[in-house]
Amino acid sequence: MSSENCAIVRELIPEFVINRLGEDELGLVESHISDCFACREEFELVERIFASRPEVPGNLEESVTRVVIDDLKFSFYRWQWQALSAAAIAALALGIGISLDSPRNAAHNVPDFAYEVEEGDIWLTDDALVAGAPSFDNLSDETLADLIEELSVVTSGGTA
Amino acid sequence: MRKNERECPELTDRELIGRGVKGDEVALGVLVRRHQAAAYRVALSLMQGDDMARDVVQDSFLKAFRALDRFRGDASFRTWLLTITANEARGALRRQARRNETAFEEAGVVRSEKMAPDETALVALEADRARTMMENLPEKQRLSLSLRIEEGLSFREIGRVIGSSEGAARANYFHAIRRLRELMK
Ligand SMILES: [Zn+2]
Repeated sequence: MSSENCAIVRELIPEFVINRLGEDELGLVESHISDCFACREEFELVERIFASRPEVPGNLEESVTRVVIDDLKFSFYRWQWQALSAAAIAALALGIGISLDSPRNAAHNVPDFAYEVEEGDIWLTDDALVAGAPSFDNLSDETLADLIEELSVVTSGGTA
Repeated sequence: MRKNERECPELTDRELIGRGVKGDEVALGVLVRRHQAAAYRVALSLMQGDDMARDVVQDSFLKAFRALDRFRGDASFRTWLLTITANEARGALRRQARRNETAFEEAGVVRSEKMAPDETALVALEADRARTMMENLPEKQRLSLSLRIEEGLSFREIGRVIGSSEGAARANYFHAIRRLRELMK
């Protein structure tokens, strides 16, 4: 069993499970997992995870849509107001001979409805603090590549 | 005359956003329909309580839509929404934990009740077992697994959602796979 193929197949297993592979890749995965015990075992695990994914409540779409559309009516006016404000400030600035660096300046003064994801502040309980949970965030790409290879060897080799 | 998107599913998210910014309610409804399930599963993966997850999905769409005019196209709308959802879920958990020190234990009880195994089918039993073990993985591993398998995200997209590099997302995924395979034996 070529371990090179194992690496390729393991990447493709999720798409295989949800039936999103093209003909060539489909053939590769099918023939590989019929011969390779480790990859077949991984396929079965991924299949189980997919099969047990949580059901989404049937009325979720409707209730979210209703709330969001109600809110939009306000947001829409705020967008209009923001555009108007920016235009008014620019006109005023021209009128009194001030140049603005960028029209975006006005937008920065509009508070609270723009959402920026603060990168790095998403995970407040670092996984590194959980017993037995490795943190991969500070590793270089090279170290990560070695690690992923190692994970693959351990899994395929069944030394656990 | 506004077209109902149920009749024109070919519209891309970007086109829908363009319409949504101009106040097109139908376009926004279609975005909700397309992405609510993924957002719900991400929220549930982090918090385990149905009601809380619903609130988080609602708040995430609100925040995303309020900022729609500032959405930058360097990520897909889905990745952006799921990033907001993960962030909102964590914020909600933090607030709940502040109110109630035992919140996490309660979430654990809800989890096991929800996962009552089907007594007839062995396959379903094994699936439930995998799910229960998955829920005990550290957050980033759990979410990497869920985003890759249930939502079909690439490792690059997963990295954005969990605030890590593509390589770290891949390492989280394969580490989780190895851990589950060991546990399932
Ligand atoms: Zn293999």
